[in-house]
Amino acid sequence: MSLRVLNPNAEVLNKSAALHMNINAAKGLQDVLKSNLGPKGTIKMLVGGSGDIKLTKDGNTLLKEMQIQNPTAIMIARTAVAQDDISGDGTTSTVLFIGELMKQSERYIDEGMHPRVLVDGFEIAKRATLQFLEKFKTPVVMGAEPDKEILKMVARTTVRTKLYESLADQLTNIIVDAVLCIRKPEEAIDLFMVEIMHMRHKFDVDTRLVEGLVLDHGSRHPDMKRRAENCHILTCNVSLEYEKSEINSGFFYSNAEQREAMVIAERRQVDEKVRKIIELKRKVCPDNDSNFVIINQKGIDPPSLDMLAREGIIALRRAKRRNMERLVLACGGEAVNSVDDLTPECLGWAGLVYEHVLGEEKYTFVENVKNPFSCTILIKGPNDHTIAQIKDAVRDGLRAVKNTIEDESVVLGAGAFEVAARQHLMNEVKKTVQGRAQLGVEAFADALLVVPKTLAENSGLDTQDVIIALKGEHDRGNIVGLSQNTGEPIDPQMEGIFDNYSVKRQIINSGPVIASQLLLVDEVIRAGRNMRKPT
Amino acid sequence: MKEIVTIQVGDYANYVGSHFWNFQDELLGLAGDPQADSVFKNHDLNMDVFYRTGHTLQGIDTYTPRLLSINMRGSLGSMSSRGTMYKEAAPATSNVFTWTGGVSTQASEPQKKNLFLQSLYEEENQNMVNETSGSPSEYQDRDITESLENGVQFWTDYSKVHFHPQSLYELNGVWTDVGDFDNYGIGRDSFAWASQGEEISDRLRFFVEECDHVQGFQFVVDDSGGFSSVASEFLENIVDEYTNTPVMLYTVRGSGPKARLQSRNHKILEDLHDAISFSRLSSYCKLIVPVGLPSLSKASKFLHIEDEKHYHSSAVYAAALHSISLPFRMAPVGPTADACSVSGAVDFHGLIQMLSGQGRQNMVSILDVAMPTPALTGGKKELCLLENFQPLTPMISEDGEDLQAIEHLTVHGILASVEGLRASVCEVKDAVDAAYQRANTRPLFSHLSVARCPLPIPLPFPSIFGNQIGKYGELMSDQLTNSPSKGSLDVHSIPMAARLRSSSTVLPLLEYNLQNLHRYGITRGAAGAELLRGWGFEKEELVEMQEMLSKMVATLCPPELSSDSD
Repeated sequence: MSLRVLNPNAEVLNKSAALHMNINAAKGLQDVLKSNLGPKGTIKMLVGGSGDIKLTKDGNTLLKEMQIQNPTAIMIARTAVAQDDISGDGTTSTVLFIGELMKQSERYIDEGMHPRVLVDGFEIAKRATLQFLEKFKTPVVMGAEPDKEILKMVARTTVRTKLYESLADQLTNIIVDAVLCIRKPEEAIDLFMVEIMHMRHKFDVDTRLVEGLVLDHGSRHPDMKRRAENCHILTCNVSLEYEKSEINSGFFYSNAEQREAMVIAERRQVDEKVRKIIELKRKVCPDNDSNFVIINQKGIDPPSLDMLAREGIIALRRAKRRNMERLVLACGGEAVNSVDDLTPECLGWAGLVYEHVLGEEKYTFVENVKNPFSCTILIKGPNDHTIAQIKDAVRDGLRAVKNTIEDESVVLGAGAFEVAARQHLMNEVKKTVQGRAQLGVEAFADALLVVPKTLAENSGLDTQDVIIALKGEHDRGNIVGLSQNTGEPIDPQMEGIFDNYSVKRQIINSGPVIASQLLLVDEVIRAGRNMRKPT
Repeated sequence: MKEIVTIQVGDYANYVGSHFWNFQDELLGLAGDPQADSVFKNHDLNMDVFYRTGHTLQGIDTYTPRLLSINMRGSLGSMSSRGTMYKEAAPATSNVFTWTGGVSTQASEPQKKNLFLQSLYEEENQNMVNETSGSPSEYQDRDITESLENGVQFWTDYSKVHFHPQSLYELNGVWTDVGDFDNYGIGRDSFAWASQGEEISDRLRFFVEECDHVQGFQFVVDDSGGFSSVASEFLENIVDEYTNTPVMLYTVRGSGPKARLQSRNHKILEDLHDAISFSRLSSYCKLIVPVGLPSLSKASKFLHIEDEKHYHSSAVYAAALHSISLPFRMAPVGPTADACSVSGAVDFHGLIQMLSGQGRQNMVSILDVAMPTPALTGGKKELCLLENFQPLTPMISEDGEDLQAIEHLTVHGILASVEGLRASVCEVKDAVDAAYQRANTRPLFSHLSVARCPLPIPLPFPSIFGNQIGKYGELMSDQLTNSPSKGSLDVHSIPMAARLRSSSTVLPLLEYNLQNLHRYGITRGAAGAELLRGWGFEKEELVEMQEMLSKMVATLCPPELSSDSD
């Protein structure tokens, strides 16, 4: 082979070997993630070399935790993770779908079919399926007041695949309320405006929604109040720290007094800023009924803290950049970058500000705000891996709700769409296709069934029985999904099982693309290293 | 007190860091040890600069490094990423509360603790039961050092420090072999700011928030691989977030031969990686100190270093970093006050201004070290203090005569004579002054910091000392033991001197990077143009980098030379 001449170290896998390497990698990855899918899947506990525990049922997290080395598997994993980045869910489904497409193709290729023909069939089937999805989806009218029930159903469907039922249902309400809280008419939903804070404290069921904000730090002065009501909130990004001037003055002092004098002069600038804030405080809090809280993105040094504490002001330093935005949305007012233009209008308001201390960690709650457009989901759990797992679930739930609002439609879940799409492809589309590409459509259609099949398998049901029952119902014109408990066909609409339209769309879009690329590989070349040897 | 937050990014940076924190821990231990030398007790060094106090949920007080360490997943060996001190109240049970369905467990094989870590663990447990048995340590120190010599796999293998749970961050989702994570592009590909970066900067915020007045960031990065792009993104964020806080950047890399075959393409890739990471990293800090010789074993005559062992070479770099960091934690005293064990305090800002702020504004400094530093007087060979320095910065010209050089010198624990008397601060000052007077070329400006406290050698320190080095780091000419090298059992402390130097001798390094960037990246039809595009660099960006590098070169070139090249 010519390459051998060019580089004697290069290793070449020929056509069928290359194809089988890809197929096996895809199947391998599928096998790993398979048991994750659905509300009956198993949770994976990963124990690291040093005894660190990680619990996950999320395909995305699991992929990131795995030390994948196989180049094909990496390609699939990247697609799946990208899927998560774009639509927030569907990682596991993507991997399963790609794996199944490869598996179905293998059958035909072993019978001597050229991958090119299959790929053409995939393309036709993909387009047809996307068109079918447009028809199949259930539109949801969003308007000014979104239908809370449908949002809850979508969120519940997602969260129940990650957490046990009663916790999932509790979180569902929290998630939907959170998204509705930050939603502004005519604007895209920015999920960053929902802060997700966690405390290693109490139990998972103590997780709650805080209308307002929870900050993971507290004031740094012993005399500042730990609890205050009726608070004016100043959100600012002003350094209240003594900083040496940037310009090197080359000023040398010859005695201690001179040095003192210089420090005092430089100090005065900072004090001036603090004094301006105090002035504002005196203006807006003439009596003792109300309080004043500063939340600063920059630092505040001890002398400044002292001055503020003497005035009864609570001051927090080094707030998260994002919290500046969130605070303004939650409490009102505006974030100021300089103390020169302070007016009472800059200030926000919160009914209650208090501190909660856990060991060395402090949390500051800013609550009872008016008309919040930002809120916090406070996750509690006895240990880190529980918290991490709830966090994953909350994240997915938030995305699902956001998607629903933006898609203005949902798709029936529990495998109903997949079965319906398969029937559509087999009964309608296949006939319109000329020649052998039909087989590609068929492979695609069968691959779609991986979702209901896996759901059935994870529930301990007989896959064949389930699929036959589902197909039969669909042929009779009933749109049904799979009941995970009984194995009987059910109406997902009645059960309230809905998936995201954009997630499904993305899966159907990206799956065949990667599968086609992998199928069309007819040579794998790697210079220098042995690829058969496990690294 | 002005706090320093240390950041370590990349594998080798953590090797260096591990030694660095071992020194700090040893200093802390000796300060509380009644049998220790008195110099360790009143060293007038404020350890709070590097450490933070806290307490666990159970109310146990802790004192942990103010550190953020970033490394690849799985690089922590047998250490838990949450550290050892902040254990959960209830022992982690295998019950899963959040899922009623099936649980499948994927346990990777537990990493075995080596002898050293076992002995630490046991010691701790014994303290807890109040030494009921009082039995002598089961582990012989000699066995421990030997096992470390032969089998350090992770930087945690020789770390005796307790870390805060926020300190150790593992980068996951990097689907490459550690060996393949070796260039800027791959680092850039596999690091997503939105998920991983946010978490990292949050953890940094945790440490900065509790500082009353942060003096700066000591940033150590392993710039030999993908971590340099992780670091540069992180630095960009730091500069943005903490605008006026100075960053002092050490770029470190291990020595030893590269394992893989050096094809031409690979050479280009490596050269481009070096050029890109240098220019990216330097653009986000106030002072950059490139550290890491291709071969350390030849660099020092008193030390026996095996180049291929990161455990060895990183110890030397860490010692130098330790020396440089001493002035930052000396209590500042007025010119009239009489300090007995330290002198020459300077803070981050001051040091950076000194080296890079004045005169030529050169931000690249050279690190030199004298380990161990010979005694002031006596000894067979009359070694001059200043001539004893070994550079740790690669690719610098040997015979740099630079009249505009600026130097910052830290000397600590130096002995007055071979007999082992420690020199007083004044003696050292005088000796250094005299040495400068005698020297052929004198720098334009030099600053000296002196401390009496030498570098303590902790137990897990590698056996790298030559056999002419005595128990307190004195140089002996006659005594010969059987073993070719000595370790922590025979040498208890070492007098050290380290120097940061802003000088034109660093030019070859800069020019090399500039040339490579130009030759492989920017010229028409350059061999690496495609590669750089793959790394996400546009032409304009590269030209900008080139301009920045040539500006750095220009500031150092003597004026008559630069006019020639025009």
